[in-house]
Amino acid sequence: MADVTSAFTGSPRFQNWLNKRMPPASSVTLNQRNIFILPTREGLMFGLLIGFMILAGINYQNSLVFGMAFLLVSLLMVSILHTYRNLSGLTIVAGATHSAFAGEDAEYTVILNRLGARTYEALLLGWNPELLQGADLIEDEEVTLKLFVETSRRGRLNPGRMLIQTYYPVGLFRAWSWVDLDVSSIVYPRPIHAGAIPSSSAMSDEGELIQKEGVDDFFGLRTYQDGDPLNHVAWKSYARSEELLTKQFAALADRRVWLDWQFFTGVDTEARLGRLCFWVVQLDSSNDEYGLRLPGVEIHPGRGPAHREKVLTTLALFELGETGGYP
Amino acid sequence: MTGFQIPRNSLAWMLVAQIAVVLPHFPRLPYWTIALCIGCSLWRVMVFRGRWSYPGRWTKALLVLLGVIGLAFGYGTFLGLDPWVGLLIMMFMLKLIEMHHQRDAYIVILLGYFVALTQFLYNQGIPSSLYIYLCVTMITAALIGLNQTRTHLKPIQTFKKATVLLLQAMPLMIALFILFPRIAPLWTVPLQTDVARTGVGDTMTPGNIALLTQSDELAFRATFEGSAPVFSQLYWRGLVLSRLEGETWSQEDPGLYGRLARPNQPGPWQDNMTLLGDQVKYSVILEPTNRNFLFSLTMPEPISKEGVGLVRDFRFYSFRKIRSKLRYEVSSWLQYRSDVELSPFWRYRYTLLPESSNPRARQLSARLRAGSSDEMDYIRNVLRMYNLQEFVYTLSPPVLGSDSIDSFLLDSKRGFCEHYAGSFTFLMRAAGIPARVVVGYQGGEYNRIGNYVEVRQFDAHAWTEVWQPGQGWLRVDPTSAVAPERIESGLESAIDDEDSFLANLPLSWMKYRQTLWITEIRLQLSAIGHYWDSWVVGYTPGMQMSLLTRYLGDFDRQKLGLIMLLTFFSLLGIVAFIVLGKRSHKKLMAVDRNYLRYCHYLEKQGLPRQIGEGPEDFAGRVCALKPELAVVVNAVTDAYVEANYAANNPSDVRRLRRAIRGFRLKTLSI
Repeated sequence: MADVTSAFTGSPRFQNWLNKRMPPASSVTLNQRNIFILPTREGLMFGLLIGFMILAGINYQNSLVFGMAFLLVSLLMVSILHTYRNLSGLTIVAGATHSAFAGEDAEYTVILNRLGARTYEALLLGWNPELLQGADLIEDEEVTLKLFVETSRRGRLNPGRMLIQTYYPVGLFRAWSWVDLDVSSIVYPRPIHAGAIPSSSAMSDEGELIQKEGVDDFFGLRTYQDGDPLNHVAWKSYARSEELLTKQFAALADRRVWLDWQFFTGVDTEARLGRLCFWVVQLDSSNDEYGLRLPGVEIHPGRGPAHREKVLTTLALFELGETGGYP
Repeated sequence: MTGFQIPRNSLAWMLVAQIAVVLPHFPRLPYWTIALCIGCSLWRVMVFRGRWSYPGRWTKALLVLLGVIGLAFGYGTFLGLDPWVGLLIMMFMLKLIEMHHQRDAYIVILLGYFVALTQFLYNQGIPSSLYIYLCVTMITAALIGLNQTRTHLKPIQTFKKATVLLLQAMPLMIALFILFPRIAPLWTVPLQTDVARTGVGDTMTPGNIALLTQSDELAFRATFEGSAPVFSQLYWRGLVLSRLEGETWSQEDPGLYGRLARPNQPGPWQDNMTLLGDQVKYSVILEPTNRNFLFSLTMPEPISKEGVGLVRDFRFYSFRKIRSKLRYEVSSWLQYRSDVELSPFWRYRYTLLPESSNPRARQLSARLRAGSSDEMDYIRNVLRMYNLQEFVYTLSPPVLGSDSIDSFLLDSKRGFCEHYAGSFTFLMRAAGIPARVVVGYQGGEYNRIGNYVEVRQFDAHAWTEVWQPGQGWLRVDPTSAVAPERIESGLESAIDDEDSFLANLPLSWMKYRQTLWITEIRLQLSAIGHYWDSWVVGYTPGMQMSLLTRYLGDFDRQKLGLIMLLTFFSLLGIVAFIVLGKRSHKKLMAVDRNYLRYCHYLEKQGLPRQIGEGPEDFAGRVCALKPELAVVVNAVTDAYVEANYAANNPSDVRRLRRAIRGFRLKTLSI
């Protein structure tokens, strides 16, 4: 269905007006202040049909034809109320957000909640008007939806106003609202494949170098995962069984790695961050301890999801300042 | 081509509605459209099930071409309404197998509404209207289904939603129906191609009125102002036949009559007319006849109706054929004297008989005339002949050969009203007395519930008018000399012993006039139909004008428009109140209502309950923030939880109420 009004919604004046009328909030209840309603193209077609019917009524002087035309006029008007009703009173609450690597989709959880006996049907919502997700609140009091937003580059992504709309019940009117749930998520740099970690990076807590490259004691085999160093692949076993396996070495568990800005020369910031990001993912999946050194930032080695998030967030927001890189 | 797949709910209703909407049109459509309709539905179902794909572009083009050619051959023309309705229906059916986008589905639905509408051009009765509204509800259900989530698979609920929407639209529709300014047609529209209608025809041949009396179809209803005249006075004149050719009586060439009389331009012949006695005022709602004549009692005054005039022989003529129900108001004088003098021309025309036909009837006439002192005596003698000889009034007279009047009068002596009227007029003319046949209806059934007389096809009748110097035209009904009960109480009693009344209609309501309760129901239904015809179907610009003037006083179009908008939007406001009103709490159980009241108090204290927070969590949070309320809050919460999960016991609600009262007192005291 055509979006009759989206043409002007991008203008800054409209955005300012929206911000005044509907300030960002983590929980928004829809009401007459923030619901818009206009006929759809089908609604206009329906109006045209009614026009023809009234003309037929006049020319055939047929009261019953008039009657039906008037019934459809009334249906059109009543459907405004029903379409409006299908948004009004609905509460939208921001839920958890999940970070993503640039190029992936960031995930936002949105909770729809109804109070009282009113039910909602065929709601469509999302940040991308082309890819709206449907939801019903008929039996459930609450539904939780996972919505995705495309990301293009690292930074703090504020997806802006989410569109929530409905055509229910008859599709002749579209009621919608632009809701700013005041959510944001971190977009990590896009990992760039960077091969093995330079040997100079492995060092002890105290900064003492470990001589070996972590290949001392063979520990076992596991299925090959993207990013495993190629020199750890068990090629002999591959030749036998055509299954890629990676040799694991006991020493790896103990290694503490520093990921350093200074690894690279002649590469721009984004490329450096992308490679560092790649290693973070690798080291995290192999349960290594790793630290990060960027100009002006130093994170001591650690491991676990919280540590990973801290390191990746640092990479994501590096040198971006307050705005977080996304407008 | 996008992979638009119509929601199941919508498709189900669309298919059901399609069949339902086209069904009443089938008798008028070429037979192959039935196959087309079923074929398209099947194809659509197969597409939905993923078995077949949509027809290709060439297949579609071929189908459309074949359809148009088929319609052209089926109807022979593209003029008139029927072929266009046929075309619309064909498009509607073919569009069903061309639904690539959601927009196409909308077009199918809009076409569906329009096809449903066209049925009103053919039938405006109550059962038909109810049926069409059922169809409209189904189409609306299809429209709703289109906007539902794909996982919604409850077609009955979708239908219910459609019903709710339409019921809410109903009061608004009624306001518009009454108040929307009705205007005259903007241009002439192609009307229905003529359909054969039961009813009095333009000519009279022995046997054709008898055939008409096999039908119990409604001819018209007449509502009298004041009481209705007695049955035997109800001679509804339709047309006057004064030309006899062979055995067929037909109308005079209309050119001979001169100008038609209208209220503001009376005919010159109206001057030498004396109207006596009381005036009878009545309004008639005439069923479509596809003919030009209107029915009235003698002597009618000209009526103010567009395109209708009074002919010189005192009957109404409409320039347009009556193809839909027509309402008109007449006042008639039952006692009158007209045309005390007759010009030689008309005298000649009204005594003209075909050369050398029916010689035995002429001899009979000469014999009777010779035995009569004057013309009035002759008329009486002819009637006495019908009465005294063994003439029989029967619905199944024998077939007569050439010179049918001879055979009837002298051999078979068995006939129906047209035999008597025809032979009587012949005998009059043979004796030089100006005479003419009048065809119409006689009698009717009085409906005391609606205070109107209902005339049906079996009331069709023919009689004679003779002219006498100084007295003008006199009505003589020769049937009354043979079967006086026909005139006094109708056809059924006149042919009682024959058992032939509506012999072909074993299930007709009319056959059970003796059964009291059936008659009661029939009269009730008829009265409802009459109100429908007068107030709904017959709600014309003129009617709107007179109705609104009665209630609004003088008004112009602007004022009417304003009143219409005000009424419409006030009603819409009421509907909005119903739709958007906070009824939600009413629906909740008493327990929940009370608990929400308590939550509301707490919210006013600055402690709103969070979304998704259970009563116990909420209580915990409140107690932590306001320990002084802990006792009362826990009391309310316990009472609520218990009332909610225990069996529904009224004392639980009371306990909750008590706890909330305690809570209120506590909060007020703090």
